[in-house]
Amino acid sequence: MARFVTVAKANSVQPGQVLKVEIDNFPVAVANVGGTFHAFDDTCTHEDCSLADGDLEQHKIICPCHFAEFDVRNGAVLTPPATVPLKVYPVRVQGSDLQVEF
Amino acid sequence: MPAPSTIAIVGASLTGASAAATLREEGFDGRVVLLGAEPQLPYDRPPLSKAYLRGATPFEKTLLRPAEFYREKEIELRLSTTVTRVDAEKKWLELAGGERLDFDSVLVATGGRNRRFPIPGLDLPGVYDLRTVADADRIREVIAPGRRAVVVGLGFIGAEVAGSLRECGVEVVAIEPFKTPLFRALGEEIGRVVEGLHRDHGVDMILGDAVAAFEGSGRVERVVTTSGRRVECDFAVFGLGIEPAAEVVAGSGVRVDNGIVVDELCRTNVPGVFAAGDVANHYHPVCARPMRVEHWQNGVKQGAAAARSMLGRGQPYDEVHWFWSDQYDANIQYAGFHAPWDQVVVRGSLAERKFLAFFLTAGRVESAVAINQGRDLRRAFSLIRARLPVDPARLADPQVDLRTLVPAEKTA
Ligand SMILES: Cc1cc2nc3c(=O)[nH]c(=O)nc-3n(C[C@H](O)[C@H](O)[C@H](O)COP(=O)(O)OP(=O)(O)OC[C@H]3O[C@@H](n4cnc5c(N)ncnc54)[C@H](O)[C@@H]3O)c2cc1C
Ligand code: FES
Repeated sequence: MARFVTVAKANSVQPGQVLKVEIDNFPVAVANVGGTFHAFDDTCTHEDCSLADGDLEQHKIICPCHFAEFDVRNGAVLTPPATVPLKVYPVRVQGSDLQVEF
Repeated sequence: MPAPSTIAIVGASLTGASAAATLREEGFDGRVVLLGAEPQLPYDRPPLSKAYLRGATPFEKTLLRPAEFYREKEIELRLSTTVTRVDAEKKWLELAGGERLDFDSVLVATGGRNRRFPIPGLDLPGVYDLRTVADADRIREVIAPGRRAVVVGLGFIGAEVAGSLRECGVEVVAIEPFKTPLFRALGEEIGRVVEGLHRDHGVDMILGDAVAAFEGSGRVERVVTTSGRRVECDFAVFGLGIEPAAEVVAGSGVRVDNGIVVDELCRTNVPGVFAAGDVANHYHPVCARPMRVEHWQNGVKQGAAAARSMLGRGQPYDEVHWFWSDQYDANIQYAGFHAPWDQVVVRGSLAERKFLAFFLTAGRVESAVAINQGRDLRRAFSLIRARLPVDPARLADPQVDLRTLVPAEKTA
């Protein structure tokens, strides 16, 4: 059942940054876009590279392997070679904790 | 210029499919006919030497778009259809079988075909090359652990095939006439790194030697090199580069020189005839010279650029060229414009195979290659585009963000 899991301190992901965390051994990335957090599968839907190793440009995360781009707000594919959207998760800040619904 | 009412696209692969999709995205509501010789829906070639060859990904996953896409967008797909001639004057295509198809504009996206050299025995059963899914399927049939393969040519495709075969437990001997794998593209220093990668994975490499003949009675049994070595094998795969498939425009007045010659708007010298992708020798405004590349990104982007140009909305096609090659756990990426270089600057560790290397000419970065360092490579795009002299010490310093090395007004 989905529940909110604390993954990090909110101040550990500054605007423009992405952090890779693991929830139940499952890699999830959290991006800070101008103060708003977005959580999504860290594994690229193209060929399994870690998206947290790529650059975040505003709301776009760019996979380092073949430069597919996804919208971190909704997981949509913005640039191929990926064709399958990314799964996204609700995020909230509780006190100083960053929590992802998983 | 009034919008054409029928646009024909010859070649239903990466470039042609990208162009067809873009025409619809741009709101073109005329007829779009996408014709291709292969029987399959347009699919992606990169997996053919990698996951698909290893049997690790099904064919459906390599389709560029699902079948419904073409129906929904009213793109008329004519598969298993070979175009024999583009008649630029009469504005029709001649198809194998005699049918004619009228067009207002045509995009030639016929890609390339593997180069074959007159090597004795090249036609023996058991000697393969790889361009299409049909080729990949033939090789897959003979892949089995413990079999012995010879890979001829360690360019990108040959190196990927060698890697995939090793991952399937095939014994691999690779024969390459240059000093290292990928020598022409990457030079000796970086080529040695790739050599190490393959040696570590058990590829036996014969470098600086070429194939003189494939021998066997009824089927290949060995490969003989020019220095007289004889390598016994169960099958062989050669990757000796491609040549542009430009023959459809023969006699049409369209200029052909190392592919179909186009300007920065993907236009040939004949009005109404455009070309893009692997077949197009295009004028590149950033480095002010013509070039032909065989990269996935160029297929997608130039196909789209050509589509807009056909609608009279073209912008000069000036992408920084870029491609990748995945071999074992190494994600190799290359960006920029291949040119003779006078300096190589390495950022990171060659020994750990995690680095970015810049190729400089007269102090400017012309191109760069990365192994497992894709983020940095992308950050170097604006540097390559800027064509300004840079301080090699700063390039080499991993603490320096490459995006900061370009003056703001020059940023891509
Ligand atoms: C095995 C392999 C692995 C690759 N891996 C990578 C990689 O990792 N990274 C990368 O960047 N690039 C890679 N590439 C290169 C990339 O796939 C090509 O750049 C791309 O396919 C070019 O697309 P294209 O549509 O221009 O040409 P093609 O893909 O060659 O397609 C041309 C199509 O036109 C058809 N055609 C030709 N003549 C006619 C005719 N007269 N009538 C009808 N149809 C015709 C052909 O049958 C073909 O289907 C790889 C290529 C291969 C073969
Ligand atoms: S693995 Fe992410 S783009 Fe290929």
